[in-house]
Formats: sequence, C-alpha cells, structure tokens
Amino acid sequence: MAPRSKEGHIFMLLIVGLAGWLVPGAGHLLLKKNRHAIIIFVTIAATFGIGLYVGSIGVINPVGAKPWYVAQIMNSPAVAALGQMTKTEEYAVYGRPNEIGQIYTSIAGLLNLLCIVNAVYLAHLRGSEPVGD
Amino acid sequence: MPSIVAAFVTANFTIPQRIGVNPQSMLLLLPLVASIAIVYKATKLPKITAGHFLKEVVILFGSIVVFMAVTALVLCVLAWVITE
Repeated sequence: MAPRSKEGHIFMLLIVGLAGWLVPGAGHLLLKKNRHAIIIFVTIAATFGIGLYVGSIGVINPVGAKPWYVAQIMNSPAVAALGQMTKTEEYAVYGRPNEIGQIYTSIAGLLNLLCIVNAVYLAHLRGSEPVGD
Repeated sequence: MPSIVAAFVTANFTIPQRIGVNPQSMLLLLPLVASIAIVYKATKLPKITAGHFLKEVVILFGSIVVFMAVTALVLCVLAWVITE
C-alpha cells in the first residue's frame, strides 16, 4: 500500500483522536488494537459510572465546578448533555458524595485523555505504514 | 418492564449515596487506583496477554497503594512531631 500523504496523515490523527474522545477506546479500535480498546472502554466507563452512582449526575456541574467539568468532558462529548441537564441546580449535590463523584468522573476523563494521546501517538508512529497490524 | 428498569437505573444516578466521613471511606480510593493501573498499563504494553497484563497491573496497583500508605505514615509522624 502506498504511503499516506501529509494531509492524509494529519486527517488520520484527527480521526483517531476524535474517535477516542467520542467513545473511550475507539481510537485504539481504529488502530486494530482490539484488546487495548476493550480494556480502556470497560475501565473508563466503569470509573465514570461509579462516580455518577456515588455522587449522582449532579457532580457534573458546568457552572459551579468548571475545572472539574473540563476534566469530566474528556470522557466523551455526551458529558456536555449531562451538563445541560444539571445546569438548573435541580440535581445539586454536596459533601463527601460530591467530592468522591467529582474525583472519579474527572480521573476517568483524564485517563481517557491519556488514551487519546496514546492512540494519536501510535497512529503517528505508523505514519507511512498501512493501517493495521 | 424496560421503562421500570430504566426508571430504576435513572433513580440510582440522580440520588447521591450516603458516605460518612470515616476511615472506611478511604477504601473508595482502591477502585480508583485499580482503574489508573489498568488504563496506564493498557496504554504502555504493546501486546496484551492475560497473565502478563494482570501481573503488571497488580505490581503497579501495589506500588501505588504502598507509596500512598508510606506517604500517609510519614505525614502522620511529621504532624505528631510538630504538634507534640
């Protein structure tokens, strides 16, 4: 297979990064690293789910907890939809459950950011090689 | 039936759990450390085989927990020395 052009290479990196953001592990799936993708998806989804279970969806607070929200939105753009729901303070949560929930959901987001960077780096290393093992 | 299940699941995620401020609540850090160890090793290992991956994750998990315990102990001793 012919090597990709520079534009094609950058486009591929963008696609891999975007896929990894849309669904955790999807970036690795595009690189045919299926086991990595499954492990990443299950772990990040479980961590995010535990955070929401402990603190409720109120831990996603784009108004009162912006720095946490920035980390949380790294999980997936779907977090923004939850953020719209919780903007009204209807699901306000305080105290320890809020702290634990924010820590879990934010760490899940930052772990996904690590996976996105890793997937983009792997795609870059493959550079001129054809996609796949 | 699916709507009842959906309502039950939704209810679980709209009401926060009760977590007391006690030493037992520190155990909640363990699942988080496990997540960090699993995802980190998933990004670091070029090929994943069950045995090797599990071994690497357990080593990293143990390292993090031991380091945190030692740090906590040192801080406790430091606080005790300062306040005594």
